[in-house]
Amino acid sequence: MKDLLQRLCDAAVKRGASFAEARVVEAESTGIIRQDGRADKLNQSGTSGLGVRVLKDGAWGFASVSDVTADTANIALDDALNMAEASSTRSTEARMPTIASLTDNVPARAEIDPRTVKVDRKMAALGGYEQAAQAWAGDKLANSIIGYYDRFDREIVCNSYGTYIEQEMIRTFLHALIVARDGSVLQRGKARVGACGGFELVERTSADEFSVKAAKLAVSLLTALPPPAGKFPVVFHPSITGLLTHEAVGHNAEADSIINGTSIISGRLGERIGSELVTIIDDSTIPDAWGSYKYDSEGTPGERRVLIDKGVLTGFMHSLETAAKMGVPANGSARAQSYNNRPIVRMSNTFIQPGASTFEEMIRDIDRGIYLKGGEYGYVFAERGQFTCHAGEAYMIRNGELAEQLRDVSVTGLTLEALMNIDMVGKDFEMKMPGMCGKDGQGVPVDNGGPHIRMRELVVGGRV
Amino acid sequence: MVDVDYLEKLASIACDAAIASGAEFADVSSVVGRSLRVDLESNAIKSCSSQQVGSIAVRAIVAGGTGWSTSDKLSEESAVEAGKNAAALAKLAEPDPDFKSLPAPAEYYPDVKGLYDPQLASFDARHIIDYALANIDEALAVCPDVNCEGGFSVNYYQESFANSLGILLTDISSHIGGHIMAIVKRDGDVGSFYEFDSGRVLADFEPNGIGASAARQAMQFLGARKLQTKRMPIILGPLASRSVFEAIVSAADAEDIQRGRSFLIGKLGEKIASDAVTIGDDPLIARGLGSRRHDGEGVPCRPMVIMENGVLKSYLFSTYTAGKAGVPPTGHGTRGGSASPSNIVPGLGTKTAAELIAETQDGLYINIGAIEPDQTTGDVSATVDFGFKIENGELAYPVTGTMIGGSFLELLANVDAVSSDYRYEPGTIMPTVRIQDVLVAGGK
Repeated sequence: MKDLLQRLCDAAVKRGASFAEARVVEAESTGIIRQDGRADKLNQSGTSGLGVRVLKDGAWGFASVSDVTADTANIALDDALNMAEASSTRSTEARMPTIASLTDNVPARAEIDPRTVKVDRKMAALGGYEQAAQAWAGDKLANSIIGYYDRFDREIVCNSYGTYIEQEMIRTFLHALIVARDGSVLQRGKARVGACGGFELVERTSADEFSVKAAKLAVSLLTALPPPAGKFPVVFHPSITGLLTHEAVGHNAEADSIINGTSIISGRLGERIGSELVTIIDDSTIPDAWGSYKYDSEGTPGERRVLIDKGVLTGFMHSLETAAKMGVPANGSARAQSYNNRPIVRMSNTFIQPGASTFEEMIRDIDRGIYLKGGEYGYVFAERGQFTCHAGEAYMIRNGELAEQLRDVSVTGLTLEALMNIDMVGKDFEMKMPGMCGKDGQGVPVDNGGPHIRMRELVVGGRV
Repeated sequence: MVDVDYLEKLASIACDAAIASGAEFADVSSVVGRSLRVDLESNAIKSCSSQQVGSIAVRAIVAGGTGWSTSDKLSEESAVEAGKNAAALAKLAEPDPDFKSLPAPAEYYPDVKGLYDPQLASFDARHIIDYALANIDEALAVCPDVNCEGGFSVNYYQESFANSLGILLTDISSHIGGHIMAIVKRDGDVGSFYEFDSGRVLADFEPNGIGASAARQAMQFLGARKLQTKRMPIILGPLASRSVFEAIVSAADAEDIQRGRSFLIGKLGEKIASDAVTIGDDPLIARGLGSRRHDGEGVPCRPMVIMENGVLKSYLFSTYTAGKAGVPPTGHGTRGGSASPSNIVPGLGTKTAAELIAETQDGLYINIGAIEPDQTTGDVSATVDFGFKIENGELAYPVTGTMIGGSFLELLANVDAVSSDYRYEPGTIMPTVRIQDVLVAGGK
């Protein structure tokens, strides 16, 4: 394989490419869905293929094939060069940095490689989670789904710098959906757990911190009230802090959106853009974290990247190309979903650093506000900095104390206003939001989190 | 490119291998295709990509338990291995007594015209690059300081579908499309908007005007203001109204109903929306973006009414959910379990979109913003991503920091008009919808 990929890169350079990359990804995955008492849906998938990326005359071309032979690799190279030549009509004038080559071989980190665990053992574990959740929900249970997924990836990055990185990754993920019913009222609770690691995740995850948590939430929401509408002081649980960090800041700090001018923080490097209580990090080096990796899909080592330091915008996430364009070192943020995608700038594990406040201090002087918990999803229009975060669970804050439970709460805000409005940052920390982030049609594993934070005001989309 | 006979052979081999390995039922989808894509950034070409795809996906069933195996290698060896693996997993899966059978071959499969354009199978990347650059140029002509990003793509797929009861169907499909997000930044203010066009055949794709339209509308979103929280009518433009119709159809998936997790449980035959709301699902529209002659399980498709004058008329059934309910499948099955609608066709009203706006004194117009409920609870809490305040019958100014909330069923009951005019993309009718008395949360 090494010879084939190096020959491909050499051939690309001989044919006029200023940079060439041949990337092979092999993946194996297993998924199990247990629903309403039966693990009746099992799946396994195996994929592999080659992606070839070339830079010629400032223009990018990319091509992929799923059968990797000398013939198909040459076809992919022809295709990639054709694509680059076609793009050169009016390209973004891409360029790459001059860097030293790297060679490494990174084996998968997993205490229990899920490929060695029989499917029936995986099924049995799901049964335990489901039974515990069902027992807790009792006659309120309407529907239960417990899902399991593991994936092994081997990614080989070979490029015209002479870099040759072979990296293996194992990820394991659990998710639960419990629906509770009381008369005509339906509510649901969700939980998820994910790690860069193997089946030990399942062995270490108790039903109480996973499926039972989802069941408790679903049942408690049956009597929760719809949220009020308007502008309120809000306190975010770490799961919502994570969503805010990812959506409102993370996407805006991807260097490609800075260079192309679509980020709300383009041109603001070195400026204060948030409260001095706010420090935001993207870190792909955290051991076992869902969004971690040693090398990105360009073969650059992952790093801890400080995006905002005490409110001041200090850096971005970079690919080789964005680093070259901005004259800084690359920091290992170029990720590709699979062999048939080109690497683009992505987040990994993104979070706000803990501060000094306690939760009690945050709510103490709020007369009427909202505590948002149970982060579910979010999105952003980066160019305007307008973000939305959705919480599956929330509470009213009345006279400095938590009051009635609320359900289905979304909040919206503008990134720059929101960052300035953070007036308290908790001393706690939690990062348990493993998920897939979508960008340009590619999904990659990311996590996000932080401490509890307080924001002076935010718009809540309510019903009353 | 793989020929039709070989693709059908792979599907049949995989199906036979699953049965020979102990599966009671099996179905297989073997797919080959090509995709070309141009990504745009900063008014130029960011990258051009070519992707050859191929896959064999086998579903095997033993006593209702299901095993899937997928490979992306189009070879007889891979087909046999995928069939064997799927059967082995199905044998491990726990039995599901609610499973009855996969579908038998139908006597008749409808013929849907215009789902494949041979020109697109061999389309040159330079053509879509020309389209993309022309749209950037027209955007710049409208607004010299516009910043365009987006993408144009051409796809071609050929699928052979076989099942162990004798179904063997091969379909070819193509698609061409493009979208532009135009961004205008002036004095610290930002306006942006999205425009697109697409078609199954080249003749339905209008390559001109996407960039100019996006740029014109982006400029209109400069100067956005915040609103005060109050109740008012909202008017959903063509790109926003789709989310309402799609949410109704999506919640009518019989799988969600039977599993007890849809807010439409027990609503069949009931009036749950105003008289103004009628929704059909028509998979047989020639050249329709969502058109197909059979569903993902090989059941022939047919047009049907899902909601008529506010009354929920049908759920969407796969063979599994239909077998469980003791009714015929409706042609919405997928092999993954959930139902898949085709072209959603809303019924139209008598007033134009312009008339609906003109008779609204104080309201909110939503250009883009998914008014989607939680599929289980039916609660809505959504951001107005792109919207205008309506004052005295006119779009007055763009809004920011605005949300709407409520019960989706209450919103449906308050729909007082669907426009007579609409935006049309092949097979897709997108009218304007007005909903009275909605709680709009603002940041003022």
